[in-house]
Parts: sequence; C-alpha cells; structure tokens
Amino acid sequence: MARKSATGQEPATRRTGRERVDPYEVPDEAPEEAPATKRRRGPNKPKPANVQPKAAESQPLVEDSAVENEEREGKLTNGISQGDGGDTDEQGTDQPVEEPTPVKKRLGRPPGSKNRGGGTPNGKTSTPSAARRKQPAAETPLKLNGLNGIDTPSRRNFADRSARRKSARALIDRVVGDDVSDDEDGIAREIYESSEDDDDDNDDNDKGHPDDQESPDDEGPTAATPSKTPARRGRKPGPGKARKRSPTPPRDLPPQEQYFYHNKPGRAKTSNNTLSALDLLTHDEYFSLLRQQQQQADRHADDVRFLQTLHAESFAQWAFELSQGFSACLYGYGTKRPLLHQFARHLSSSSATTHKAHNPPAPKIVVVNGYVQTTSIRDILAVLGTAIAPAQRLVSGNPVAMAQTLLKTLTATTPPQTIYLVINSIDAPPLRRTAAQAILAQLAAHPQVRLVCSADTPDFHLLWDSGLRSALNFVFHDCTTFAPYGAEVDVVDEVHELLGRLARRAGGKDGVTFVLRSLPENAKSLFRLLVAEVLTIMEDGGNGNGAAADGPGIEYRMLYNKAVEEFICSSEMAFRTLLKEFHDHQIITSHKDSIGTELLSLPFRKEELEGILEDLMS
Amino acid sequence: MAEVDDTNTLLFQEDDHRTAYIFTPTYGVEQTAAQNQNARPAKRRRTSKKGANASAPELEPEPQSELGAPRSAGEADFPPLFNGAESLHAAGLRRTTFETAWPVLNGRIQNVLRRANRETLDEVALFMREAGAEAETAGGKIPAGFIITGPNIASQDLLFEQLAEGLSEATGAKVVRLRSAGAPNLKAVLKKIIRDATSRGADGGDDAEVSVGSDGRKYLNYDLEALHVFLTAQDSRRVIVAFEDSEAFDSGLLADLIALFHSWHDRIHFSVLFGVATSVDLFQQRLLKATAQQLYGAQFDVVQADSVLESVFMGAVAGSRAALRLGPSLLQSLLERQKDQVAGVHNFISSLKYAYMCHFYANPLSVLLAEEGVLAIEPLQPEHLEAVRTLDSFKQHVEAAVDARQLAHAQSLLENDEYLVAQVLEQTQKRKDYLSQLLRSLHLISATGLHPGRFTDLYVSALADGIDLSSDVPPMLDSIRRLNPSQIIDLVHRLLTAISKGNPDLDLEGWEDQEESEELRSCLTDLSDEVQALLDQSKLSGKSLKSKYSSQSKILRTTVVAQKVQLSHDTATLTEADKAFSKAVDNLTELLSRFIHCEPVGGLLLHEAWVYDSKSPYRDVFVPRPATTFARALSRPHDYLGCACCSKPDGGLVPTFPTTSILYHLYLEAGALLNVADLWSAYYTLVGEESELALDERTALVRFYQGLAELKLMGFVKPSKKKADHVAKLKWL
Repeated sequence: MARKSATGQEPATRRTGRERVDPYEVPDEAPEEAPATKRRRGPNKPKPANVQPKAAESQPLVEDSAVENEEREGKLTNGISQGDGGDTDEQGTDQPVEEPTPVKKRLGRPPGSKNRGGGTPNGKTSTPSAARRKQPAAETPLKLNGLNGIDTPSRRNFADRSARRKSARALIDRVVGDDVSDDEDGIAREIYESSEDDDDDNDDNDKGHPDDQESPDDEGPTAATPSKTPARRGRKPGPGKARKRSPTPPRDLPPQEQYFYHNKPGRAKTSNNTLSALDLLTHDEYFSLLRQQQQQADRHADDVRFLQTLHAESFAQWAFELSQGFSACLYGYGTKRPLLHQFARHLSSSSATTHKAHNPPAPKIVVVNGYVQTTSIRDILAVLGTAIAPAQRLVSGNPVAMAQTLLKTLTATTPPQTIYLVINSIDAPPLRRTAAQAILAQLAAHPQVRLVCSADTPDFHLLWDSGLRSALNFVFHDCTTFAPYGAEVDVVDEVHELLGRLARRAGGKDGVTFVLRSLPENAKSLFRLLVAEVLTIMEDGGNGNGAAADGPGIEYRMLYNKAVEEFICSSEMAFRTLLKEFHDHQIITSHKDSIGTELLSLPFRKEELEGILEDLMS
Repeated sequence: MAEVDDTNTLLFQEDDHRTAYIFTPTYGVEQTAAQNQNARPAKRRRTSKKGANASAPELEPEPQSELGAPRSAGEADFPPLFNGAESLHAAGLRRTTFETAWPVLNGRIQNVLRRANRETLDEVALFMREAGAEAETAGGKIPAGFIITGPNIASQDLLFEQLAEGLSEATGAKVVRLRSAGAPNLKAVLKKIIRDATSRGADGGDDAEVSVGSDGRKYLNYDLEALHVFLTAQDSRRVIVAFEDSEAFDSGLLADLIALFHSWHDRIHFSVLFGVATSVDLFQQRLLKATAQQLYGAQFDVVQADSVLESVFMGAVAGSRAALRLGPSLLQSLLERQKDQVAGVHNFISSLKYAYMCHFYANPLSVLLAEEGVLAIEPLQPEHLEAVRTLDSFKQHVEAAVDARQLAHAQSLLENDEYLVAQVLEQTQKRKDYLSQLLRSLHLISATGLHPGRFTDLYVSALADGIDLSSDVPPMLDSIRRLNPSQIIDLVHRLLTAISKGNPDLDLEGWEDQEESEELRSCLTDLSDEVQALLDQSKLSGKSLKSKYSSQSKILRTTVVAQKVQLSHDTATLTEADKAFSKAVDNLTELLSRFIHCEPVGGLLLHEAWVYDSKSPYRDVFVPRPATTFARALSRPHDYLGCACCSKPDGGLVPTFPTTSILYHLYLEAGALLNVADLWSAYYTLVGEESELALDERTALVRFYQGLAELKLMGFVKPSKKKADHVAKLKWL
C-alpha cells in the first residue's frame, strides 16, 4: 500500500519509474540526481559483470557515466521523440551482443570497487523494491551500450554538448510537453502494476471497469487510495503503450478482429472483484425461488408462446421434408424441446389418421435427449432396437456393429416400418464425438429412418464433415423460440462450475441423506459426529483452524479420537474406510493446513449442515 | 427440473431426463394431449386464415378438429394454400405432380452418376481380375488399387457401393468396405472385416458358423483363421478390402493391417483398394517403406466432379424431361456454391430436389404443371384465377396487349374467367414450345462447337437474357464468318446431324421429320451444296476460295518510301466465286440467327407457374448462418418477440430484455476474460431494486444464474482459472 501511495507524489520514485520506461530521460530531468541513480545502478550490475570478466572491468565511473548519459541523450533524441516505451525494450534486448567489446579499458581504471561502494546505500533508500527488482537485467547493459554503441566518449567540448542537450530537451518538450501528465500516468501505472503481482489482495478498483462504482461489494482498499482513483479516471490513456490498453474495444469490428483485439498478449484488464460478498444460490433456494417466479407470468410469455405457434405452423412442411429423405435441424436461441415434442405429437397424430387406411404400420417415434449427461450412442441404439423389433434383443457390443444389425433388421421389416428419430440437442457434449455423429448419420441415411434434431450452440455445424453432412442431408430451420432452457441445463451446477465453486458432489442436503441411507449405521454416526463438530467450530468463532473455501475444518486426528471414544470404529483402518466412502460421494473434503495437519471439512453452508444434523438425529 | 412449458408439465417431466425413449402420446394426459394435437392443425389453419387469432383454437370443439385432422395433418397431402381455401383436390394434385416429376429426374440423375463411374469401375475390376490371376503365381505382394477420388468424400459413397457390387461380381471375391470412423483399432477392423466378409456370403449373418469351425473349434471374432475356415468352406480365397477415406486412417493401423494381410497371403488372398483424396505420392509418404513394399498397385482416376456436375445439369436441370425450370438467379447461386464451397454433386442434387419441393408445396399455381387433361376435368378455382391475375407476367402481358391495341383480349383476360382459363390452359403448349425452342437452340449452338463457355453458363445466360445471335453473341457469328469453306461445310453437316440426332443428354430427340425444321434443313442442305460446288470450282481453277470476312481478304501492305514505313490496308479483290461464297456465309449466319433464338424466360406469360427462381429458402435451408441468427436473437430480442417493451430505436440495452440477452450485451462489452462479480453487479444495477423492474436481489440472482447457465450451454463462456470468479469468453459472433 505504501508503495502505491508513493507512486503518486514522490518525485524520486517517479523518476525510477521513468527510468524503467526510458532511461535516457533520467539525467535530463534532474541532473543533480543522476549520480545517485548511477550509483544505485552499480549494485545491479554484478550479473553481466560476473558473466563477462572484462565487462566488470569496464564499469564506468560515476562522473563519467553522467557525462555519457547526457551525450547519449543527444544522440538518441529521435528515439525518445518517437515513443518512450518501445525502444527501451529493443535496446535492452540487443545489449548482450555488444556487451563484450571491452572498449572501456581505455579508461584504465581498476575494476569497480568504487562503484559498488558508492552505489548501494543511495539506491536502497530512494527506490521502491518492486520496481528495482524488476529492472536490473534490462538496465545494466544500457549503460554499456552508451559506451560502446556511441562513438568514443572523447572529450567533446561542453558548448557543443549543452547545445545538443538543449535541442534534445526542446524536442522532448515539444513531443511530450502537453502530455506530461499522461506520461506520469504511464509510469505510475507501470509501477503500480508491477506491485500488483506481489500483493494480490490489494483491490485495484480503479482499473477502468465501468461497473465498479455501482458494485455493491466494493471493498475497503479503494478508500485507502482515494486521491488516485478519480485522478486516474479523468485522464485519457497516453500515446504508445497506454493506447493499446484502452479497455473498450472500438465498436463494429468484425468478429475475427475482435477476437484478436481481445486476445492480445498481456494481462486481461478486469477488476479483482469477487463474488465473495454474495451468497451463492443453493439448489434448494434456486428451486423455491424459481417456483415463486413461475407464479407470476413472465412479461414475454405470450410472445414466446406466439413464436412457438409460428414455428408450429411449419410442422406439415417439416414432415414433408422428412418424408423426402431430408433430415431437419432446428437451431436458434431458446429451448426447442417443447417444439420438438409438439412436432412428435403432430407426427404421431397425423400418422394415426393417415395410416389407418393404408398398409404400412404407424411410424415409431424415438426421442433422444442428447443433453442428458449419461447419454451414449449405445443406449440410443438399444432403444431404437426395441422400437424396431420389440421381440428381438439387440446384441450389445460395438456400436457400429449394433447400428448395422439394426439397419438390417429395419430393412427386413415388412411392411416397411418408418422410424422417426427426434434428437434434442444433437450438439450436446455427450453426442459430440465423431463416432456418435457418424452412427447417427449412418442411421439417418437409411430411407426408413427420419431424423429431426435441435442444436443449441451457434457453431453446431462444425460437428459434421462433408461426408456426414451428405449422409445426414440436413435442411436447417431457424427456430429461435426464446423459451428458457429447462431440462437441458442444471442451472446451479453449471454456474458453480463456471465459477469454479463446484466439486461435483451429492446435491445438497438431500444428496447427503440419500448417500447416508445406503451406508451402514456407524458411517451415519461418524457423519453425524463430523457435522456436529464442524457446527461447534462454526459456533465457536467462525473460521477455527481452516479458513479455507470449504469452511472450517476439523483435525483428522481429533475426529478419529472422538470416533474411537464413541465406539464408531476401533481402528484407524476402519476409520479410513468410512471416510473414503464419504470422499467418494464428495460429501467431505480434506486438505492440509500450513503446518501439514490434515483437516476434514464439509462443503456445505451452515444452514444446510443444521438441516443435515436434524435429519440424522431424527 | 422445473418444466417451463406449462401445458406439457405433466407429460414429459420424467422423460426429460431419460437418454432415449419411444414416444407415445400418453393416454394418462389424453385430455390435454388430444386437445393439443387436434387443436394444432386447426390452429394452423386458423392463424393462416385470420392471422392474429391464435388463442382461439384452444376452445375449438373437439369434433370439428377431428374432422380437420385427417385431411390436413397427414404427410400424404400438402396443406391447402390460399389461406386454406385451396381445394383438397388441387393440393393433392400438386403433391401427385411432384411425386411424378421428381422420381423421373432422380432416376436420370442416378443414371448419370452411375455412368460417370463406369469406366473407373471397369478398369479396377480388370486390374483386380488380373491381380487375382497373378497372385497365384507371383505371390508375395498384395495388389492394391489407388483410386483418386478427389477431395469430396461425400461423393465416394456411391463409387464404393458400385465398386463393391461390381468387384464381387467380376472376381467373385468378398468385398469389405472400411471407413476410418468405424475403424479405431486393429481389433475392431479385423472384427469388421470378418463380420462383413462372412455375413454377405452366408446371407443372413450366421454368426455361429463363423465362430465354430468345421472341426468344432471356436474362434475369436477377430481371428483371421475364422475367415480362412469360412472361405475354405465357400471355396473362395479372395477378399478385397476397400479403405474409403485412406488418409483418415491411422498410418500405424494401416501398416499393421497390411503386414497382417501379407502374412496371411498364402491362405487368404487379400487385395486392397484405397480411396485417395490427395495424391498417391502423399499417401505413400504416410506409409512405412516396409509397408509400401508389400504392395503393388495401380492408380485409377475418377471422373472429375466438374464434368459429373455438367452432365447432371444437362439431364436434370436443362433436360427436356425436367418439369420445373430453375430460374437463372437460383441456378447461378447454386453453381457458384459448387465452385466456391467445393460442394459435392450430392449437394447440388439435394438443392435441386428442395427447389422442386418448395415449388409444389408452396406455389398454388404449380397445379398447372399437372398432366394434361387433369386440369380440364377439374376447373380451376376462382382463387387460382385471382392468383394468376396478380402475377407480374400477367400484368406485363395485359399491358403489352393494351399497348398493342388488343383491347378486347386484355379486357377478357381481366374480366372473363372462362377466357382466362382457356388462355391459361393454352400456356401449357406455349411452355412446351418455348422449351423445345430453347433446347434446340442451345443444342445447335453447342453443335457448332464455336461457343467457348460451358453448357451450364450458356443455359443460365439463355434463361436470363434469352438467345439472340445477331446481337448479343457476336463472337459466335464472327467466328462463323471467319471459317474457311471446308469448315463451313463441316459446320453445316454438324448442324444437320444435330437436328437429326437430337441430344440424348438433354433428352432432346431429333426433329428432322418435323415440319418446323424443314426450312432450316433444306436451306442448310442447299447452302452446303452451294459451298461445295464453289469449293470444287475453286480447286479446279487453283484459286483459293475466300469470303470478304476471312482475314486473308485484307492485306496489310508495307511500303518503304524515303526511309519511312507506310502501312496501308488493301482489300484484295474478290472473285465472283468469292462473292458467291461470301453471300453463302451471309445466308448461313442469317439463317442461324433466325432459327437460333429464344426469349428470356422472365418475359413469358405465367412463367411463375413453372419457373422456380427464389433464392431465399434455398439459402436459409442449406447454408444457414447460425452465428448471425444467435447474435441477432440475443442482441435484438424484439426482432423475434415483437414485444413493445423491448424495442428501443437505437438498439440499446433495455432492462426488460430476456436475461440472457442482457448478459449477452454485457458480454459483448467485455474482453477475453469476464469478471462474473462485475457482470452480476452490472446486471443487478440494470434490473435491481432501483431500476424500473425492481427485482429483489435473490430473484435477480436466480435470473442471473439462468442467463449465465444458458450462455454456458450455448458455448459462449467456459470456466477460467486465471482469476477467481472469472470466466473466459469463447465466442466472437
């Protein structure tokens, strides 16, 4: 924190910051400070010095370096005026190449005891550590370059030099002049960011996310740096480096350009806010709230229904397309499950009426829910098998073989049996594998199988290569329904998974009860004990030993002792076995604290734990 | 999970979480289900009749909808058009017309495709036969056929099907087709080979026979010994294994397989076929040297997709048996897609079929394409006539009639239904005349061999702009003029043959015995005689015969006068014979431009009934743009919902948007990483207590959860480990 506030006001710090951005400006700005800076640089030098013995010898003297710096400044004016950030890096990178040339021998000074002696104390006091820590490697060679790269630093006359200096300053002023504040901003930003790595808990709300101000969980740290935030906000990002960082992308870029814009190298600019202040929803709460919400009609309910009827008008058309050997694929935002369901009903009702008169048997309709996690192509084939020939049991085995037998049976049916295959979410993860799609395509290519499916992602068509595409022979229909997804998505789990808060675990209180029901008595007792202990810790003072994400934990050893006392188990072996069962169902978690004690904790909130305890006691 | 669709809550709550099930409209909820299913067709008719009246059908009495269901809902009939006023007969007629029209074409197309592969097939079969014979003596190496199929794997299916048929006939071998998708590892491949090879012969897949050998031994189902035993019993020793998409196979797998085949060579004669999409060289580089050495093979080329497309086009689109004409702009876009997207011929055929389907399904006037006589029996409905009168081509026709002072004609067209019906029926004949004129002209043009472009382009431009030799294809007449006498004679002969033979590709019969051709034929014959006579004469006289058009007639003279070069054109004097010849050439061109002509199709009365030229359903249905659709739905939901609350002129963010839309808008503003906490606070600010919606925090959170989960479902975000509570952006639509 101290470091941060320092960046704002103290000139010395600012200068060091600038040094990193553009070392050439340092002596220029504050000539009397230059020696100090040089001296501070001294101790940073040992790295190249050690690598290259001659380089150590070539350590410049303090007085000399000040002079040379001025000279270099004249030479490099162009570089400065063009942009202050970029060239530094370049210089920095080619240094090592030029480094070895021992031009400096000319000076004939003994290697740098003097430098080291002089440099250290000053540097330490004036620079913040983080900034200095970052720069030594890049910094050192620059000076060498100054000596080598530029023609001999012979004694040019002072008038010449000062004229050059003046012109350089004029140039710099002209270019940078108006934007001095920006420049400072840039430096401050540099320092600021480098420190950010070190102390992550510091909250930098001022990073330009538009919503920060409104954020309800703004935390303390903002207050600690009150002066900075508004000031920073007011400024426009300066030229060069700062421009790249502007947080809002230019509008109306084509998607691919936006992709590259967003994926530029560098840290993403997002705030450090977290949802820690917010109580996340549990399944229980979610569903009870959802039920409440469903009482009140959604404002768009009618429109959604109207959209659905609009799509339903095309049923006859889709049926016709299917009958002509096309497969239909419905895409668009919103769940298409009710629509497909309705369509299935349409198919069965229309067949019921038209097929009575004719010979062919009523078509069978098989509905597949691709979004169900456990969906496998084998299951689908098995159900298809029952649909085609209820009496015959399909030999399970290789899905490819299964599909072949299936189609053979289908061809053999007399009179020909038509099968409608209705697939909800054909692009859901369980069905995404090529093998699954290949089998579906193989099925769809059969003249008696008619496939209609829905797709929920915008890039579903990448599922199929041209071979599959031609086998599937799709016609696509835009069926944007705006109906909220229901069965397709387990809202709470999905969101928690997104947030990284979800260790797939038995769902809440009910899940635990369900798991425990199938476990022996002593396992239940152990879990009760564990819940009781954890609750006690919570009551006692919140976090107890383990202030982890999972809440307070209880020491493994302690729990074991208690378990033995209560005759729940007699040996550690048995205790372990019981715990393993819990682990398998993910109703407990364990971790080690800083000194290596194993802690057991329960991934539930306090209310849930109380509920569980009640259940267990009753 | 809570079911949102209120009517269906009971019905499929349970089914929603099953992987797959057989759909039965449950009788437990018969009441709602039956009402829904019957109400639905009624609803459709109702909405189409009166537009907005969508909520009424729920109340519709049961019996009536039951009456409605058998007629309209079936897949056997098209739904009646004209807002339901079209008679069932007419709707049925459209369907039958479609059903008679398409299969004819389809048959032709399949024919063309099969014919296209014939040559390759014969070559391969010959190779395999010889290889079979050699294998007995030479031994050692496995015969391999490399079939260069080109990049489009979609069209390979037919080829390999034909190969399998042809080869098993020609060589008596078992043919096994392998695709990379079905061949993950050696064991699976062997299983498949054994299964396919044995089941095809045993006719019914007696698995028991395979696994139990004659001596009662049981074999594992991937043991080639089983195949050997089976083949010995069948008294055949050859198996041909076809790798359809060879490049997609794991090269290690191929190496193993070939090594295995090689080691079994003394017992089972394996041959292999590779479908190669790139080139044999590239393919060989993927194989081990040792593997390559165990093969000896030959390369076969398949007819290129371009020429296949051309012949399909001639047969199915331009051919005289195509009932429906595709309009020039649709054709153009179809052909472009073929070129740009390297789409297979199959895509073209599907598109063609879909155009047919669209036309007969949605255009009430397509009844006019029904077979002759049918329409006369069943008079057209008043709606049909009304529809005719709204056609652009009808309006043009009437206006033209008025301009031409045929007022009576125009008036009766507009007012007298019977007159109109007669006119409409007359159009059938006119259509046929037009088409035969079009095709003959095209045929003659291609018979001259002087048209540079491809037939497809010629056809499309003929439809769009008509054919008029004298004005718009000058290069052709010019090139005729430049021909020398013997070439002229050849040309005339070619034309005469073309007239007599017709063009089988176009289903165009010769028309030499028809009277229309008489004038043309006699003129042509005369002309050729005349030129021949002139030619003979000139040969006698030793002078070459030339016309005023031939390039030699003009001589460029170079004279050097006082060290300056002077260029001067000089028209060589034409002899009498030359003049006669020039006249003959003039006659010929005049004759051709008189006989080879046709109007653009758009100018014909009632062409809407038999030309389908709408690009939009084709594009929507075959080349969807889901990303755009999703982006539009999410960024401007009112486009779909049509609600008053959400539309804002500048398209900005409104709190009444569906949650996912709001989140999508915020999502668009963010970079590659999204902070969920900030997303939430932004969302909550928008809909929370202080906004007009005034949702309390937990309710808003529930919606936020739903929206976020939907974004994830649609693949817009994924978890990110870079920072706490951040998600990564995945879609840039």
